[in-house]
Amino acid sequence: MIRRVFRPTDLARLWPLLADGALAMAGGTDLLVRRRGQAAVDVALLEGIGELAEIAAMRTGLVRLGAMASHSALAASRLVTARLPVLARALLALGSPQIRAMGTLGGNIATASPAGDSLPPLYALDALVELASRHGRRRVPLAEVILGPSRTALSPGEIIAAVLVRPPVSGSLQHFEKVGRRSALAIAVASLAAVIETDAAGRVASARLAVGSLGPTVLRCPAAEAALAGQRLTPDVLQQAAGHIRAAVSPIDDIRATAAYRRQVAGNLLLRLAAGE
Amino acid sequence: MSERMELSFTLNGAPVCLTTEPGRRALDLLREEFGLTAAKEGCGLGECGACSVLVDGELKLSCLLLAAQLAGRSVVTAEGLGTPDAPHPIQSAFADCGAVQCGYCTPGMTLATSALLAQNPDPDRDAARVALSGNLCRCTGYVKIVDAVLAAGAALRGEKP
Amino acid sequence: MPDNLSPRADALAKATGTERYSADETPPGCLWAGVRRAGIPHGLITGLDVAAARSLPGVAAVLTRADVPGTNRQGIVHKDQPVLCGRHVRHCGDAVALVVAESRDALAEALSRIQVECTPLPGVFDPEAALLPDAPAVHPGREGGNRLAYGLVEKGDAPGEFAAASDDDVLVAGEFHTPLQDHVFLEPPNGLARLTPAGLLDMVVSTQAPFRDRFEIAHALGLDPMKIRIRAPYLGGGFGGKDGATVQCLLALAALAVPGRFIKMAWSREETFLAGYKRHAATVRLKLLAKRDGTLRALAGTMLFDAGPYAHLSGEIMALGMEHAGGPYRIPHTRVEGSCAYTNNPVGGAFRGFGVVQAGFATERLMDALAVRLGRDPAGLRRQNALKPGEHNCVGVMAEAGTDTAACLDAVMAHPAWTGREAWKQAAPAFTRRGTGLVAIQNAMGYGRGLPDAAAAKLELTRQGTFRLYNSVPDMGQGNASAFVAMAARALGQPPQAVSCVQPDTRICPPAGSSSASRTTYTFGNALLRACRAMRDKLLARGALALLCDTPERLELIPGAVSDPVTGRSVPLARIGMMLCRDDRICVDQYIMPVVDHPPDTGREFKLGFPHRFYSYGACLCAVEVDTLTGTVRLVKCLLSVACGRVFSLSGVEQQLQGAAAQGAGLALFEDIGLTRGRMRAGDLSTYLIPTALDLPDIECLALDDDEPSGPLGLKGMGEIGIHGPGPAVAQALYDATGLWVRHLPVSPREVLEAMGGPLS
Repeated sequence: MIRRVFRPTDLARLWPLLADGALAMAGGTDLLVRRRGQAAVDVALLEGIGELAEIAAMRTGLVRLGAMASHSALAASRLVTARLPVLARALLALGSPQIRAMGTLGGNIATASPAGDSLPPLYALDALVELASRHGRRRVPLAEVILGPSRTALSPGEIIAAVLVRPPVSGSLQHFEKVGRRSALAIAVASLAAVIETDAAGRVASARLAVGSLGPTVLRCPAAEAALAGQRLTPDVLQQAAGHIRAAVSPIDDIRATAAYRRQVAGNLLLRLAAGE
Repeated sequence: MSERMELSFTLNGAPVCLTTEPGRRALDLLREEFGLTAAKEGCGLGECGACSVLVDGELKLSCLLLAAQLAGRSVVTAEGLGTPDAPHPIQSAFADCGAVQCGYCTPGMTLATSALLAQNPDPDRDAARVALSGNLCRCTGYVKIVDAVLAAGAALRGEKP
Repeated sequence: MPDNLSPRADALAKATGTERYSADETPPGCLWAGVRRAGIPHGLITGLDVAAARSLPGVAAVLTRADVPGTNRQGIVHKDQPVLCGRHVRHCGDAVALVVAESRDALAEALSRIQVECTPLPGVFDPEAALLPDAPAVHPGREGGNRLAYGLVEKGDAPGEFAAASDDDVLVAGEFHTPLQDHVFLEPPNGLARLTPAGLLDMVVSTQAPFRDRFEIAHALGLDPMKIRIRAPYLGGGFGGKDGATVQCLLALAALAVPGRFIKMAWSREETFLAGYKRHAATVRLKLLAKRDGTLRALAGTMLFDAGPYAHLSGEIMALGMEHAGGPYRIPHTRVEGSCAYTNNPVGGAFRGFGVVQAGFATERLMDALAVRLGRDPAGLRRQNALKPGEHNCVGVMAEAGTDTAACLDAVMAHPAWTGREAWKQAAPAFTRRGTGLVAIQNAMGYGRGLPDAAAAKLELTRQGTFRLYNSVPDMGQGNASAFVAMAARALGQPPQAVSCVQPDTRICPPAGSSSASRTTYTFGNALLRACRAMRDKLLARGALALLCDTPERLELIPGAVSDPVTGRSVPLARIGMMLCRDDRICVDQYIMPVVDHPPDTGREFKLGFPHRFYSYGACLCAVEVDTLTGTVRLVKCLLSVACGRVFSLSGVEQQLQGAAAQGAGLALFEDIGLTRGRMRAGDLSTYLIPTALDLPDIECLALDDDEPSGPLGLKGMGEIGIHGPGPAVAQALYDATGLWVRHLPVSPREVLEAMGGPLS
């Protein structure tokens, strides 16, 4: 149950509210579901703080994605669709049109679910998270922000302000696939984000692979990335890298799928990259 | 319960102001304070879409919106699209295409259609299905709902059926 | 092409959000009632402390078993379900205490403060195990133990045929399982009640059976059924799940405890999963004997239904399943035994398809097995054995004249989705495989022998000269109310706008049975058309007075008037309406569905609802595309044909077929309640998955020429038949695509992946 609702219009007004125990609320699609039937709390809405929703290219070459940008706003942003298609594809596979209109990138990170659909692309993009509090700001690699299911490294009074991503060089392969039990309103059973740069001869210069729903957090697969390095994306090469993914993941059994299925599919998803061969 | 707030917003085109608990669900506010029962509760969890409303033109779930989040916004429910005597072309299309069975999902479906057609006036069936994918229907198998979306698009573009 | 139901009379009010469902009735200041549920599948209540709840501000009443007057027993036929449990908890959803409070918040708080102490009992979760002698008793001391019902249907000498089988014959056998299925009507069970100062219990309920509800409430709570009024507005879906008590008895109990106040009960989605009825899980073991040329000789086997802890209509559902076990095929010798077992699983109940879903899946799978064994095309084999009019079905009832299964199969077999299936399969994109399946379907109409399938219809001429139709059978979305309006308008020669429709209200409508069993439009429609004829005769006779016409046969009922073609004069209906007293403005007539004339001497255990006379027939094609990397199955084509009498509204037929097929597709591919030792792992709409708009193709329908002379305007019921297609058709299509032999539903991607690439460790 929600008791008081605060609507600060800038960060300066937010900090005392958080200090008084109010929960920061982004889109609310996760928080309000989880608070049902729980003890009453106060919330501070982040939606009125304009700067948190901005999407912009920075002079440093980074793209700054405001934490309060909704999934649908991001997926419709020309910057995202042109430079970060792997993220755009993931966001279009997330939830439903309503959830995409309400949910935010920062919220998806703060929820820290291994099935968060925006997360594998952000891991594969080596995203940095900008955290803000009354004490200032810090930039932390995403993998260090998310500690486990529903667990983050945010300090009390700290919020996610933005995500910073360096777009891959143009011509890179950006791929995302989510396996769900249905085609919308589905929680990922397994997902794969791949950002692969190739040289003129079609050999992999660098590969970044991240999988979702296959362990307590989204996971990068360095062994699989290394197996692709210097190779063409042939079925044999991909099959070998797929084995590394299957070895790296630690999936669970649940209502949606068995661990064995998830492990198999985790590798299989990589094989799809041979489609263009 | 808790302290109340003065809440002003635009509802179906008209300014409204009331005093209410800020943490109340927008769904309950619309249904109980304004008697606007087009938005329905099917799950309370954001999984069915029956409670969908338009907030500043965007399709949102009123079961996961707090009353306070409506402040200053423009909210449209199915009642705001049209009435039985003066239906919106989308509503007429749903009726004419046989897209209404039990009807519990229909108000949400019509608003999803409205949101889609505002972005994409001439959607194909696949685009319609994407736009409707957050609104569950257990009666129709969706075929006639998709028909209705396309028919509504045609009507709004001024094409003869 | 003009369509009698386009648009439906209810469509615009629903689309504009002005139609008021039961859920929309929340009078200012109403109280809220809610239930504390057991949360364990089997146990004894050893302590129930409601003091903390009772003392909370805003709590009007807290009630337990001791507060229930009457028998405390609800149930449609067998009264074995407590309104509130006293001591014995038999499933997780059992109601233990009832709270009435001033607000939803106070209600939630009070419910959370009720302390229930239970001693767990060993549960029985497997219907097979439930029937063993040493199984824990769900109803201790009950004669028959956990075997709730048993039945046998037979024809000819199936054991003899199987014994006499030779090398020239082919035998196939299998065990098949279909799961629990939740209805997922979008409007959860709910209602509003008030005990008036005059002692009337006045209720508005989302229910499929308002007339029966009165008696069920009265029996459970020791009330006079005639002092209960139930109104059933349009339902936000039902599908069988609102046939039988959901909120009714609890809400009535709350109203008795707090007289004079409006009290609302609205189950959450989670509570609906926990406490609502489910399609019975069933295990069906069948064997089928055929000649080498494909001619069916004999069928035998067993069906076992998991009833959960309370009877509901389990025996009747089982009986209907057994009656359909032979499919729409000609089989000279049959023998099918059925049992229902009490368990501590969720309560099995009515759901569109009512036992036939379970039977049809097994029968169609065996036909597939036979086709594979014989190297035959599965559609051709079905075509060869399709039951013709005048032949006897598997329980010995003769098929009525009319369009038959063969014609339904032919229609689908002529479609490009079937004729072009090989080319389509070969064109599968990378990482996919394709396959197509085609099955035959059937569904009986009506309650069956032993339980009169009756309806009375009331029609009123208003003082304004329009007509008011009293619909007595709830419209849960299938459109019967609109069909009745259209039928009456047509029969009376009036525009549809001249006919208004009152929704079921036990105070003013005559009884007409439940909204179920593919009976609604047939039975009530017949009663209504009779009432329309009576009204027409009356209007001509009364009009004759005004027109000074001594030969009323020559008069005509025209829009808004009675006219005399000879004189050219007419009298407006409004004048006649003003002229007549209320009693004279009303016509009531009735109809009872004909039953099987000479019922076969089998199924003797079935007192109610066996056998059935009228069937609709059909065929269903499904085509699937399987992802070879993930095992994900996409249903990409679905086509149904149906023979269901004359088509009153093609749109209406399509609505029923498409919706039913969508539920069948959900059963085939998505819907899994994850039952583990009496507990559901899927208890909300994020875990129990029904198809979204992106999960289904454009389902196509072919309604064939047909006629049922006894039907209103020649039609038969067809609200259920479509659900039977996708399960077996998807199974057959998956065999075509991947070689997976599906024995149970839903099919998981894991099984599909394993079928293509070997077992996953």
